[in-house]
Amino acid sequence: MSENSGTNKFLRIFGIDNQGRKRRDPLNVWVPLISIGLALVVGMIVIAVSGRNPFRAYALLFGDSGLIPGGSAWPREFAELLIKSAMYIATGLAVALAFKGGLFNIGAEGQFWVGAIVATFFGYWSPVAGAFGTMATALGSMAWIAQLLHGAICIILGMFAGGAWAAFAGFLYVKRGVNIVIGTIMLNWIAWFLITNWLVTGPMTPPTQTFTSGTYYVADTAKLFRIMMPTRLNTSIILVLLAAYATWFLLYKTTIGYEIRAIGHTANIGMEAPKAQGINVNRRIVQMMFFSGCLAALGGCFFILGMQYQFPNTATMGYGWTGIGVALIGQSEPIGVVLAGLFIGALRTGATSMQVANIPKTFSNIIEGLAVGFIALQVAVRYYLVKYLQRRRAHADPPAEQEAAA
Amino acid sequence: MKALEVHNISKMFPGNLANDNISFSVEKGEIFAIVGENGAGKSTLMNIIYGIYTPTAGEIYVNEQKARIRSAEDAIQLHMGMVHQEFMLIPRFTVAQNIVVGDEPRKGIFFDYTRAVREVKELSDKVALTVDATAITGDLPVGVQQRVEILKVLRRGAEILIFDEPTAVLTPEETQELFVTMRKLQSQGKTILFISHKLKEVMDIADRIAVLRRGKVQGIVNKKDTNEEELARMMVGRNVVLEIPKVEASVGPVAFSCHDLRVKNARGMETVRDISFDVRGGEIVGIAGVQGNGQDELVNAMIGFTRPTSGSMELNGKSMRLVTTAELRRQGMSYITEDRARRGLVMPYTVRDNSVMGQHLNAPFSRGLRMNYDKIAEFAEGKVREYDIRPGDVLDTAGSLSGGNQQKLILARELSLPHNFLIASQPTRGLDVGATEFVYRKLLEEKKSGKAILLISLELSEILGLSDRILVMFEGHIVGETTPDKTTEEALGLLMLGVGVDRKVVS
Ligand SMILES: Nc1ncnc2c1ncn2[C@@H]1O[C@H](COP(=O)(O)OP(=O)(O)OP(=O)(O)O)[C@@H](O)[C@H]1O
Ligand SMILES: [Mg+2]
Repeated sequence: MSENSGTNKFLRIFGIDNQGRKRRDPLNVWVPLISIGLALVVGMIVIAVSGRNPFRAYALLFGDSGLIPGGSAWPREFAELLIKSAMYIATGLAVALAFKGGLFNIGAEGQFWVGAIVATFFGYWSPVAGAFGTMATALGSMAWIAQLLHGAICIILGMFAGGAWAAFAGFLYVKRGVNIVIGTIMLNWIAWFLITNWLVTGPMTPPTQTFTSGTYYVADTAKLFRIMMPTRLNTSIILVLLAAYATWFLLYKTTIGYEIRAIGHTANIGMEAPKAQGINVNRRIVQMMFFSGCLAALGGCFFILGMQYQFPNTATMGYGWTGIGVALIGQSEPIGVVLAGLFIGALRTGATSMQVANIPKTFSNIIEGLAVGFIALQVAVRYYLVKYLQRRRAHADPPAEQEAAA
Repeated sequence: MKALEVHNISKMFPGNLANDNISFSVEKGEIFAIVGENGAGKSTLMNIIYGIYTPTAGEIYVNEQKARIRSAEDAIQLHMGMVHQEFMLIPRFTVAQNIVVGDEPRKGIFFDYTRAVREVKELSDKVALTVDATAITGDLPVGVQQRVEILKVLRRGAEILIFDEPTAVLTPEETQELFVTMRKLQSQGKTILFISHKLKEVMDIADRIAVLRRGKVQGIVNKKDTNEEELARMMVGRNVVLEIPKVEASVGPVAFSCHDLRVKNARGMETVRDISFDVRGGEIVGIAGVQGNGQDELVNAMIGFTRPTSGSMELNGKSMRLVTTAELRRQGMSYITEDRARRGLVMPYTVRDNSVMGQHLNAPFSRGLRMNYDKIAEFAEGKVREYDIRPGDVLDTAGSLSGGNQQKLILARELSLPHNFLIASQPTRGLDVGATEFVYRKLLEEKKSGKAILLISLELSEILGLSDRILVMFEGHIVGETTPDKTTEEALGLLMLGVGVDRKVVS
């Protein structure tokens, strides 16, 4: 009974299910889908109660979300959808990776901005930008090589900086026992204030400017390739899909991923099993935070090199926070994160149009919040789903199968 | 009157029929034992009766009425109670708090502690189970904690009590006390279901015994009409002799040694005091002692989980100061833990993934950064066959294995690690007779091949049968060293309780 009920019951409260086999659990797909469905229904009720037409609102929301092809505006909407989603997927992957290791990296926000500012710097800083500028002129029609290299350098350094920022929180956690949530939140604010109150309004602003309008613009060579003229769509979506694949590979194919998941599975019970088997838990946690920070920072690089081309002084927080929702809806699986990121990207893209129906564009945040809320209630959702399946099965025919989770 | 009837219960797990058409009935006031090999389906059956699992087929009658048990709450409503092996008690709470938690007496909206203490005292007088209602639970010996758990179940009105391997964590004395308790409960008309792997215990306490084998009822016998040998034969399907053969091995160099070791526990109390001993290749050194006399802290220090406050340890001649667990394992330390759920296995990981943890960085299990799960599966399949781990699908999660099979998995993993020093901490806890025999054989093979083994066990017969030298631990000290031929179970038992120990040495 010890093994079979005590600990397991405890773990199941956290959504970790010890029972049953390691077969693909259909609930992992149904729980987020049902949560999203519930969120949409509740959203509908909210709209209806406030005296507006929910069907019209949703028609506008999804019609302009870029999800449904057709119409002259569609290419632009589709591009916006992908540009936005790329950033949400990046931060979503960051949070998901840390979740897999049993940690709540609430600092994707800060790591995103650290990545953004570092990418900006190497995008405009004359020793680098100048060198690639010369190179581009020299290469002539092969100038794209210079663009590729300069962009790559900006992204790599940006990711490294974001990774280091996150790894520091990991370091404080393993060496000083600073709770990871507190550590990363603290670093969020430090990053945000350092960047917006100092760097962007001081050392990184062009001196010729009489008003503060953000940093220098990055050189053309630092910009991401545009891939669907005339829209703004750039390579970020491709890069983030590669990052999602890399995250999946890291988690499920490498020794590091094997150890990270073992740590994550036992995080609630002191990680004794991996420790006793000689896994260097502390080192892995710091590494994992590093990778997590890299992913968040990748989103920040997209923000600069694909959209803004400078660090604007109008930037607002939110990409990292959204990443938390994306990771939760995506059940912390890379593929789920990609889908969830696209969904959130679509909501955000279509939301503006809902203003026509007198609905503020922040309405999409309500849907997101609700969906995440229902996911957080996944224990309950799972419980009723299992009950329902059991009842249906009992009606159908008794033997053969068993419930997915006892 | 029949307190409990089970009709044609079956339970299908994916690809595995854990309970196959099981029927029996239990009279009110009876002590009904269920025995069977590891993975025979005992825990599954109990979990069905207690509402944790839903059966695939079959019916349950309580007090001769058809019962609908869909959850543990339903079971409690029907006056059933389960005493969990890993107690669900909160260590910081007092006994009274633990017993009433979830159903507290109140004064207005506030918890009425005085009444809780009074209620617990009344209850414990009524059922004649003595506990100190105001003691801090975490400070009590395991046997007493179990009593607290029993009282908690009784307070909720349990008439049918389910005990799944309650004696696995108890010392022989505590087991005897538990049996006294069980008989008291029986005389008060309570019905008891009892699971154990120790046939001697079953013969001691049960009225009737059901033998399960591979999910089926092999037979139900009256205690009067049977004996241990017959039960073992019914369980395993062959004759089992739990005799430990004498194996001679030439004693090699010192593999592990410690000098004047002192270790503190998590709460800062010094629980290992001035311990010195060594273990040589080709010998088994047994540590006997009542649980909680410093064995856990000693092991924690040995495996690099805690730093000793003073003293030194050496592994193969190298100082272990500041050496990590990973490094110790590379230097040849293997470790079988009794704490399967927390320390031994990553429960949500598959058998495959658990089978190489610790050597997953070695070829062929990984190359560079890349895991080779095909090779790992191959390895795991081999181990599953060699150690007879059931049901045998390497993609099952470790958490879905029965307790005994989890233990075998740990054993398989640790013995296949490159090592020359093995710490075996209660290696047969929860194993059936056949598997216990198997573990003994493996340990003796280890010894024969020149490995050094430190055996920590609460089971005196095990210590006496396997060890070449025996150390007795009491209150953090080693209070005696002897050999199996120079001592008896009784003499060891007394030493373990500190009888005849020079008090000055101890304090
Ligand atoms: N949740 C589960 N999912 C899949 N299989 C399971 C699950 N729980 C138990 N089993 C399987 O059912 C069988 C019976 O297991 P059970 O735990 O009842 O055995 P047991 O008789 O209690 O053994 P032990 O003495 O080792 O505790 C085993 O083969 C086990 O692997
Ligand atoms: Mg069991």
